[in-house]
Amino acid sequence: MVVAETASMQGTLTQRVPDNFHRLSFTGSGKEYFGIWIVNVLLTIITLGIYSAWAKVRRNRYFYGNTVLLGRAFEYHAKGKQILIGRLIVFAYLIFYNVMLTFVPIAGIMLALLLVAFVPWLVVRGLRFSARVTSYRNVRFDFVGGVGGAFLAFIVGPVISVLTLGILVPLASRWSYRYIGSNLRYGQRAFATDPSVGTIYRSWFLSAAIIVAGLAIIAFVGFLNFAVIMALFDGSVEPTGGIQFSMIALFVFGYIALVSIFGVAALFYRAGVRNVAWSATTFDGKHQLTSDLSRGRYAWIAVTNLIVTVITLGLMRPWAAVRMARYVNEHTGVHFEGNVGEMFDKIAQEGSAVGSEFMDFEGFDFGF
Amino acid sequence: MASDGTEIAVGEWHPAGSSRSVPSRLIDAGGGFKVLDEAGLELTAGTFAAVDVSARVGAIPRRAEFPDGSLFETTDNDTIDRFLKAKGKTSLVHEWERFHPRLIAVVLATVLSGVAIYRYAVPALVEIAVLVTPPIVPKIMSASTLETMDRSVLDTSALAAERQQKIRDGFAGIARLSDRGEGGFSLNFRKGGAIGPNAFALPDGTLIVTDELVELAGDDTEMIVGVLAHEIGHVELEHSLRQIYRAAGVAGLVMMIGGDIGSGAEDILVQGAGLLSLSYSRAAEAAADRHSVELMVKAKRDPTAIARFFDLLEKELGDSSDTSILATHPGTPERRKAILDYAGELKAQGQ
Repeated sequence: MVVAETASMQGTLTQRVPDNFHRLSFTGSGKEYFGIWIVNVLLTIITLGIYSAWAKVRRNRYFYGNTVLLGRAFEYHAKGKQILIGRLIVFAYLIFYNVMLTFVPIAGIMLALLLVAFVPWLVVRGLRFSARVTSYRNVRFDFVGGVGGAFLAFIVGPVISVLTLGILVPLASRWSYRYIGSNLRYGQRAFATDPSVGTIYRSWFLSAAIIVAGLAIIAFVGFLNFAVIMALFDGSVEPTGGIQFSMIALFVFGYIALVSIFGVAALFYRAGVRNVAWSATTFDGKHQLTSDLSRGRYAWIAVTNLIVTVITLGLMRPWAAVRMARYVNEHTGVHFEGNVGEMFDKIAQEGSAVGSEFMDFEGFDFGF
Repeated sequence: MASDGTEIAVGEWHPAGSSRSVPSRLIDAGGGFKVLDEAGLELTAGTFAAVDVSARVGAIPRRAEFPDGSLFETTDNDTIDRFLKAKGKTSLVHEWERFHPRLIAVVLATVLSGVAIYRYAVPALVEIAVLVTPPIVPKIMSASTLETMDRSVLDTSALAAERQQKIRDGFAGIARLSDRGEGGFSLNFRKGGAIGPNAFALPDGTLIVTDELVELAGDDTEMIVGVLAHEIGHVELEHSLRQIYRAAGVAGLVMMIGGDIGSGAEDILVQGAGLLSLSYSRAAEAAADRHSVELMVKAKRDPTAIARFFDLLEKELGDSSDTSILATHPGTPERRKAILDYAGELKAQGQ
């Protein structure tokens, strides 16, 4: 079903003018990234985390610089010092907050509320920073979203999602994608995103079904062991070593099963929503973006990546990261209207985005 | 025109702030760089010091930013590196990042320093943090914890005054012999309610014993004193502060490395750190048990009194569980055995 759906989506979008549809590609390799990665990890560890800011710059430069559209790569421009300052501010606030929470609980709660009030502003700063340190063909991206939209997308959205046990998640997804997508600029030209709630719900149903079915299986297994669990609780059975061991095994198994179910459902949903949202995005009112990830394949790559990373004690992480980047890039494309060369000849950077990122600090960590 | 310099690399040139690109060549013009288009016309130029050449990362395109804001971009990384090397500029980080057998040494160094940080640097930082923590911190922490517990689970003790006094006398006897002295502790009796037979210590030396524990002990005051000696151990070894700092330090390290290992692996590390902190908690319990034995020996009381308490727990509450990796305390039978062994050892040494 998944395969058929994405195939048809791809069909309708590429049918128009096939020669003007261009996919992203990823030109990096696990072998090359391994060296960058292990040096990052080593320097981060021996500097007790301080180098992590510079590590992030090298990692992002590698991944942006290998993301290629029309033969040209993206570029990441942030400097380690900027990222370090942003992190130090957040870190100092967290320490201050925890100290206050210990000594003067009331003041601690006030600080937490203050932080929540500041979250939308921090999100705006973070998104703007991420956009402005990203360039393609010598032109920077920019982000023009306001605090109100960030509040709706990143405070109201998650809250209603939790309160409705996930039923309103698609609404929250629509808000956040629309907020980010419609406030993104590239050289004075705007992106516009308006994914419909109906299409997001269509991919939400699959994830909801995975969760319901998974929970039903866990409940069934739990029911089979119900007698043992109850006997232990009312004390009628003396807990022997064997039962104790099987209880722990059951607990661990149940925990892993629960995490896997929600993890897989989240992966399916993430890929589905990305497809819907990107495919509902235009640049400059006419160039159509496309995402045609297969949800099953995306989840498979993410899950096997994690397993391989864990089994190799992290050493295969570079391979896993490159594998995922390649898959996602190759299933992302743009359908250009008109002559691409002429279009890029005319795009020029807005003055405001240039240089001003040096005044910015990275509020919250957002990558594109 | 191209004769007045040597070609370094071929690439694309962008005017300042424009996505328009022109196929071009980067030229070494003696004191600086020059960019020429295919017809040999100069597009821009700048001295070596004024042109910012980006650091190499893998094989991603190299950028040379000129003072007029224009940009030359090339994928010809190696020729740029050779040119910079001739000028005496090499990137040490990139040199180490290259895929080379030397990376095996980097991997080993990473594993070793990871283990060293976890085993030595984190505990050392925890010790420093404990040392510089002013005494007011555990005081306020304890006061607010006790207040919260009094409001939620604990109730006023219903124990008879003479029973309380008897325990207080026994407690004063061991507290006097501890490093902090009698004034370093305050013993409180509370009705335990939901937490049942229990005793616990707050970091400033406030000890709480529940009525349920006293009732469980019956006439065996010695046993209660043994349990209190265990709690004195927690206070003197500063277990609470250590545990807080340790958890914070490990969480910080995991967070710093999170970007490089992916969110899934980061979650697993966080869970793993949780399991490891449980093992730390079990080690702390065992240390406090040994402290109890030592203190009781010093006070010429029965060092195995606390073991009787574990006997009771086993009999009355049916707690005979083995040590589990998911528990904060070691298994009861194991603790009893460790205490008896240690008491025997101390006795043998004393003779």
